[in-house]
Amino acid sequence: MRDNKNPVSPHLQVYRWHISSLLSITHRIVGAVNLLALTLIFFWLLILSFGESNYELFLFFINSFFGKFILIGFSWSMSFHLLSGIRHLVWDLGYGFEIKTANLSGIAVIVLSLIMTIIFWVLAKGVV
Amino acid sequence: MNATKKWILHRICAVILAPLFVWLYFSLLLLSTKNYSEAVTFFQNPLFKILTIMIFFVGFFHAKISLNEIFEDYVHDKKIKDVANLLALTLSIVLPIITLTLLVYKI
Repeated sequence: MRDNKNPVSPHLQVYRWHISSLLSITHRIVGAVNLLALTLIFFWLLILSFGESNYELFLFFINSFFGKFILIGFSWSMSFHLLSGIRHLVWDLGYGFEIKTANLSGIAVIVLSLIMTIIFWVLAKGVV
Repeated sequence: MNATKKWILHRICAVILAPLFVWLYFSLLLLSTKNYSEAVTFFQNPLFKILTIMIFFVGFFHAKISLNEIFEDYVHDKKIKDVANLLALTLSIVLPIITLTLLVYKI
């Protein structure tokens, strides 16, 4: 174990916040949240295999206020990770490293992820 | 597995997952307002079955590599890190296999 109190990398509490660092850590966090989403889908399938009465109970839960909150949350975490992931892939190909471009693409990821969540939810739920 | 291979595989998984995970999640949102038999019918489609199984294997593999990176950065106690990595590896193998079994034999 560490025996001093110096902060250790990646120094989230030390550096001044920039859009780049904010998006970097958010990409990781929503990635982990997406793992929870995939785990929820796992239980979805598990309960589906348990038969109709169990599945009805699950549907009741998923359509409750809390259930919808989770589903909308996962819609956003998925949208964000997808868009931010594309941004990372573009970087991997060697483009978009200029500070201005990186800041703009970062803002685009935030805005588009919110728009995508709304479109996703409206389409799926047929609210229109 | 060396780091370069891991890095490339992680990106390949990401590219595969991008359309597939959106498709599956969207389909489930649609199914959330429908009944049991419609959900069963959906997963009885052989193509949807295969795609779902693929998402679980590729998704958990992508997540496993990512978790290794996150643990490497934030978990500084080697013992805890090793246990966490082992747990991630176990889950990334067990859950997709259970899903495969469910979709092939039960649903």
